[in-house]
Amino acid sequence: MSDAAAIFRAVGLSKNFGGVRAVKDVSLAVAPATVFAIIGPNGAGKSTLLNLISGVHPPDAGTVMFNSLDVTALPPHARVRHGLARTFQKIRLFKQLSVIDNVVAGFHARHRIPAWQYVWHGTAFRADRARCRAEAAELLAFVGLSGRGQALAGALSYGEQRMLEIARALATAPRLLLIDEPAAGLNAAEVEALLERIRVLRQRGMAVVVVEHNMDLVMNVADRVLVMDYGEPLFEGTPAEVQVHPGVIAAYLGAES
Amino acid sequence: MSDAYSAAGRARWWGILAAACVIAVLPLVFRDSYWRTNLIVCALNVMLAIGLDFVVGYAGQLNLGQSAFYGIGAYVSTLLIMRLGLPFWPAFVCGVVASALSGMVLSLFAVRLRGHYLAIASLGFAVITYQVLLNWISLTQGPLGIYGIAPPPPVGLPGWQIDFTDLANLFYLVAGFALLSYVLLDQLVRSPIGETLTAIREDEVSAASLGINARLWKVFAFAVGTAVAGGAGCFYAGFVGTLVPDAFFITESFNILAMVIVGGMGTLSGPVFGAILLTVLPEFLRGIGDLRLIVYGLALTLVVLFMPGGIAQALRLARDRLMRASSRQTAGAKP
Amino acid sequence: MLTVALQQGINGLVLGSLYVLVALGLTLIYGVLVQINFAHADIVTLGAFSAYFFTHAFGGGYLPSIAVALLVGAALGFLINAAVFAPLRERGNELLPLIATIGVSVMLENVMLAWFGPIPYAFDSPYSERVIRFGGMFFTAQSVLIIAVSAAAIGLLYAFMKFTFLGKALRAVAQDRETAGLMGINPNRVIMLTFVIASALAGMGGAMLGPVLVLTPFAGASVIVKAFAIVIIGGFGNVEGTIIAGLIVGLIESYTTQVLGPGLIDIVVFALLLLMLAVRPTGLIAERREENV
Repeated sequence: MSDAAAIFRAVGLSKNFGGVRAVKDVSLAVAPATVFAIIGPNGAGKSTLLNLISGVHPPDAGTVMFNSLDVTALPPHARVRHGLARTFQKIRLFKQLSVIDNVVAGFHARHRIPAWQYVWHGTAFRADRARCRAEAAELLAFVGLSGRGQALAGALSYGEQRMLEIARALATAPRLLLIDEPAAGLNAAEVEALLERIRVLRQRGMAVVVVEHNMDLVMNVADRVLVMDYGEPLFEGTPAEVQVHPGVIAAYLGAES
Repeated sequence: MSDAYSAAGRARWWGILAAACVIAVLPLVFRDSYWRTNLIVCALNVMLAIGLDFVVGYAGQLNLGQSAFYGIGAYVSTLLIMRLGLPFWPAFVCGVVASALSGMVLSLFAVRLRGHYLAIASLGFAVITYQVLLNWISLTQGPLGIYGIAPPPPVGLPGWQIDFTDLANLFYLVAGFALLSYVLLDQLVRSPIGETLTAIREDEVSAASLGINARLWKVFAFAVGTAVAGGAGCFYAGFVGTLVPDAFFITESFNILAMVIVGGMGTLSGPVFGAILLTVLPEFLRGIGDLRLIVYGLALTLVVLFMPGGIAQALRLARDRLMRASSRQTAGAKP
Repeated sequence: MLTVALQQGINGLVLGSLYVLVALGLTLIYGVLVQINFAHADIVTLGAFSAYFFTHAFGGGYLPSIAVALLVGAALGFLINAAVFAPLRERGNELLPLIATIGVSVMLENVMLAWFGPIPYAFDSPYSERVIRFGGMFFTAQSVLIIAVSAAAIGLLYAFMKFTFLGKALRAVAQDRETAGLMGINPNRVIMLTFVIASALAGMGGAMLGPVLVLTPFAGASVIVKAFAIVIIGGFGNVEGTIIAGLIVGLIESYTTQVLGPGLIDIVVFALLLLMLAVRPTGLIAERREENV
């Protein structure tokens, strides 16, 4: 992939936790309108890699480039403003808030209200509010949660919570969406619905990075696959290449035996 | 637009109008200086409680140092008036700003610390502030206190003046500011800022993933909440006429916290009722002597254990039950 | 000059070892439950009062009174856990138990105020009058007693944590409650036990602090704020760090009194606390934890 084509590029990322090497020298590039999957057995360093990309942890070495801008030193909240959003492996919704309020919180960086109208709600304030609520309702419809807006987020089923988390991330208007272990805890129908949504996002030009350890799922939607093992990149290629790669098969069989 | 937000907004304005009417009538009902004094204490406590609620209930940062910000507002404004001869209102602004600035300094700890660490850091801040007031005798006269502080100067036109040595007028002034603070905070919490603070309270990591700079917003919440406390402090000094460090001991922080919890943290109207209840109730219990202050502790513990949403939650539950009962009645009326 | 410095040093260590007793309880509870018991202060106070009444009203000996205070503390710890922490555990809110115990503390203080009144009690230990000379220094038998009892208590606690099954269970729960549950350890029992031990230490500390402090219903509150500072300086949940920090705070208090006057103790201690929080919030002995989310 040429430099110009990639929206996101990580070079030589490494991270140690108390002497344990969680991620070692990982590089990857993601083009717009593609789905990039990071797979590997449990403990391969996938989630750590995702945390390095989203800025939750600073890397010990390496750079993270977003839109040919070096964002390595930026904290997570600042990366969001450049168009990078994420979900979490252990779902982290605002459980005490309503479903719609969870999504509306995602509009944080996108309000268009003059400062004084925070103290005195005027026309611009009302227009902004109506716009955010309408967009939030659209996002809920997109993930199949129409009509659930007033429910408490904590009261949703596990699968619905996953979808709500994606809707909330989409509210930040990302150009790159990181999804951490989306299929964990979902039934077959829910997984299928999720894959279909990811395909729609790709169609709209969004780059999607999916961390998953369920290989079958990834094969159905990914354009590129990075296989990780013990924190190191094992192989990168198309799903078809990954499926026949002997090292990958060995890593997976080794992890399962 | 006639969505739920606008409807609720209108209901709030009616509520605020009703509160203004109540404020106008109260000094006419309570004519003796004992109860008028209590009314002013109520208004001060309302300011302290809603300011604290903004930080604790909305931003989720347990600040046990509200007494210190109350004290900083009181001492800074009073010293500026008495030592430098500043007029009341400029000194008032300075007191508010000094409180807000020290709140921002403390919030820098909140930026790095969460939960219990912040609770202890803020407690430590309150202890240090109290000890400084007590020990910096050349400035504060320590435990002897500062005497003869004048109330705010009269305002008005020639021939028609409002004189704040009159307790009713002083109540109007303080309650007016309490109402103003309420409206200001209410507008903030119903704006996206309210959503942002709530997100930080619920889950900081999650909030960061939505682009929320928790650091910045915690500083903001502390600045606003402690500024209101500072304002209350400025009025306190002019109202009581005397300043001693003991008025700003850490137990005062606990009392204010009790008002917020009993009223219902994370709602703005709840702490108003909590402040009024916990100011007035001990007055009715004077008969049982020292034991009366037990109501603060008792109320705090029982509410946390059995009604964590406080008065606000109790009212909501009562309203829901009433509505269910009435809907059952109408359903039963047409079989 | 050196003698004075040494003398103050010893006074500081005596005071510090009492602070350690109080702070250890806070740190044990924090280690197991990640919670703060604000009413810990009042366990100290009630320990001091029970020892006072045992010796002064019932004519009991001072040493047995320490045991009485220990039992009173243990009972209070049991009650506070059962009444506040156990019911709030399921709610999973980080701050509610802390707030509830602030309420318990306010309640206990006002009940004590109603019963005992605001006037300080003169708690005389018979050992305070026996003076031991050593070089140019004086110390009372009370100081020796305090150091001996504290050291014994801390040593016993250490041995308990290290060598008994319950002690190991306690540490296991502190590490990971779910896994401990899977190992057949009943976390609720362990938490209860932690409260009892922690509060027994506080009650005991109260009995020995009684003659040192101005014994009023608020005596414990002045100790507890320092104990909070100690657990944070030492690193919350860290036993060794708490012991070191407790002794340091005792020394600071002693030397501050000598050099700057007693009024500035709290300012110095809390300035150190805030500095510590700003520079090294994990405490003296840092446990670095970074977790994936």
